[in-house]
Amino acid sequence: METLEFEGNGSEYFKIWIVNVLLVILTAGLYYPWAKVRNHRYFYGNTTLDGRNFEYHATGKQLFLGYIIAMVLFIIYIVIQQISPIGSLIVLGVLFIAIPWLVWRSLKFSLKMTSFSNVHFGFTGTLKQSYINFFLYPLVFLCALYILPIGLTVALPMLSGVDTPSWLSLILPVIILLSMIVAFYMFALMKKKNTSYILNGTRYGQGVFETTLETKKFAMILLRTLGLSVLILGFIALLIGAVVYGTIGLESLMEMQNAMKDPQSMPENIGSLIPIIFTAYAAMILASMVIIAYSMTRQRSYVYEHTTLDDKITFASSLEARPLIWVMISNLLLVIVTFGFAYPWAKVRMTKLMVENTLVDTSYGFDDYITERQEEESSLGEQIGDAFDVDVGLGF
Amino acid sequence: MVLEGQWHAAGAAASTKAKLHIIDKVHYSLELETGKVLSGTLSSLHIGDRLGNIARKITLEDASVFTTKENDAVDTLCKHTSKINTFIHTLESKLKWALMALVLSIFTMFAFFTWGVPWGSKYIAHALPEESNQIIAQHTLDFLDKILFKKTQLDKLQMDKIRTHFQKNVLPLNKENQKIRYTLHFRDWSEGNLSIPNALALPSGDIILTDKFVQLCKTQAEMDAVLLHEMGHVVHRHTLEMIIEGTFVSVAVMLIVGDSDGLADMGVGLGSVLVSASYSRDHESEADMYAFTHMLKANIDPVSFSTIMQRMTVYIEKKLTTNYQHKTSDDTRFDYFSSHPNTATRIEIANQFSNCYKKGLSTCNIRIKEK
Repeated sequence: METLEFEGNGSEYFKIWIVNVLLVILTAGLYYPWAKVRNHRYFYGNTTLDGRNFEYHATGKQLFLGYIIAMVLFIIYIVIQQISPIGSLIVLGVLFIAIPWLVWRSLKFSLKMTSFSNVHFGFTGTLKQSYINFFLYPLVFLCALYILPIGLTVALPMLSGVDTPSWLSLILPVIILLSMIVAFYMFALMKKKNTSYILNGTRYGQGVFETTLETKKFAMILLRTLGLSVLILGFIALLIGAVVYGTIGLESLMEMQNAMKDPQSMPENIGSLIPIIFTAYAAMILASMVIIAYSMTRQRSYVYEHTTLDDKITFASSLEARPLIWVMISNLLLVIVTFGFAYPWAKVRMTKLMVENTLVDTSYGFDDYITERQEEESSLGEQIGDAFDVDVGLGF
Repeated sequence: MVLEGQWHAAGAAASTKAKLHIIDKVHYSLELETGKVLSGTLSSLHIGDRLGNIARKITLEDASVFTTKENDAVDTLCKHTSKINTFIHTLESKLKWALMALVLSIFTMFAFFTWGVPWGSKYIAHALPEESNQIIAQHTLDFLDKILFKKTQLDKLQMDKIRTHFQKNVLPLNKENQKIRYTLHFRDWSEGNLSIPNALALPSGDIILTDKFVQLCKTQAEMDAVLLHEMGHVVHRHTLEMIIEGTFVSVAVMLIVGDSDGLADMGVGLGSVLVSASYSRDHESEADMYAFTHMLKANIDPVSFSTIMQRMTVYIEKKLTTNYQHKTSDDTRFDYFSSHPNTATRIEIANQFSNCYKKGLSTCNIRIKEK
């Protein structure tokens, strides 16, 4: 097994980044596609394995049209969102329906635009499968999570008249608990299916990626994550509760809550809460980082170890939660104290950590791979996905 | 000149070591480790753009690829190609240019949010046809009736009196835009046991007065002051401006956050809240100004505005004190988050206008003190 290496450094990337920022500003955003290409090229080009590097091939010109269309759609969305609550619900609905298409187009485009050692990647997953994975499963999951328990809580008392019989009040918690379990299982299943869809559809030249994942394993990771979250959040809630009770007391808290109802008087009353809100906010960020890092590193290791290229090239992840948490927290502080201008260093540190904890078995070599002929892809889907913040990647 | 690197056949992952000889100004030959030699003219080579120090890619006529780490040497080869990229690379590689870009970026961003967005929004808002105001206000009152307001408890006689006075005495003061049709609405707005005194204007010219506000007004001048303030919002098309400003900010946020991770989102989110609040405060001050200048012209003492503002503040604070032990505080720490300017500052400006009024002036130069 050999480790991937990242050869970029913060100060070099800072110069590229700041020139990008300036040109995007001076061109009123029109330079953005070219800036994006330069960013991608920098990170891909500096990632190497065995002396061979990755490459990003899209050009600014290629992205431009898709970018303009995405911006127009985004502006329409923002305007609708501000003037009509019903309109924005409709737009969100349309977006929900469009997500599988966006994911599919993005995968096709971005993998095709990526090469390693002069050989392009590709994606062969179908649109139909994308709809099953990114529309059907999330829908079932959401149903189990919200509609089933809420619907039953509302509908059952209505059916049985005004006074609810006692057996019903016993059965309701059971139903809610059951739907929670279904939702939990659906979430694990969804994770597994989505990851499999993306990985099994990925090609490297003529080579085929294959992954064999089990829902049970995902469920176990999720269960541990959930346990960890409950523990941490419970601890924080207790801590903050104790601090609030000890310093300002319950009465003035109620009073503040009441005062908040009037928008004009709010700023005058809330002052004494500042330090507590601040601490609570910081604690929540810290907690979410710990939870995200834990869940992500476990999933990453599991998925990498069960993925192969042509059944012979294997992968592994040596990323652990602790260093990841450290980089996340120190990056956040770094970015905050520099008002965002340390972002390039933060990004390079994070990439370095990720890349250098990725292992590939290179004993078979890559010399047999050649680029397959592929159709032209438009960047439209990828650009829209980018504008509306549709998360396409696996998150690792 | 000789460059060392790797050679790939077209589309192949396999590579061999290779040396690129630049023979003269026109010809090159590429010598592979296997002994094979490829040659041709320099102009047939496609030399990739430079970016930092990532391996440089040179594509040959037969689509095979030569990559080399010797970026500086390659640069001397391609002086004649792609001026724009050479320019961008020069910016990127020199620290002083990068620092200049940093300063320029900070300055333009500051200028964009302080002057660009408000000015641009104002310009667009006033360039749009009158109908756009009707369109955005279309269902707003119905919506507010559903979620916020209850039917008014005021008696019909009182409402008619206010409406007639508004038509006869306040409306004629508006000379800026005669096309707007103003309508007064009366509603009750209660949260818990607190009846909220407030006045709101919709871009269509519908002005909503809450019951508590009408009850708190002791003189006609006080009500006129607030009505003029609301008319100021309508005349200056503040709702449209807010929508356009919001769009500017959202698009800017999207570009700043770009394809970065959730990390940057938080800071940018806080920033956009502060920026939006600052735009909203500017609108309030503008509406205040509209009210004050028109009051001077109509011979109404602007002090009425400060009287009614103070009475509303006192009412709310008193209401809260009777329910709980409430400590009045002059907390200015949250002013940056507030959608309205600091009440004390607004009252101070009203009083300055009132001094002008007492001197019999019809215009007034005021000094706005920073806290």
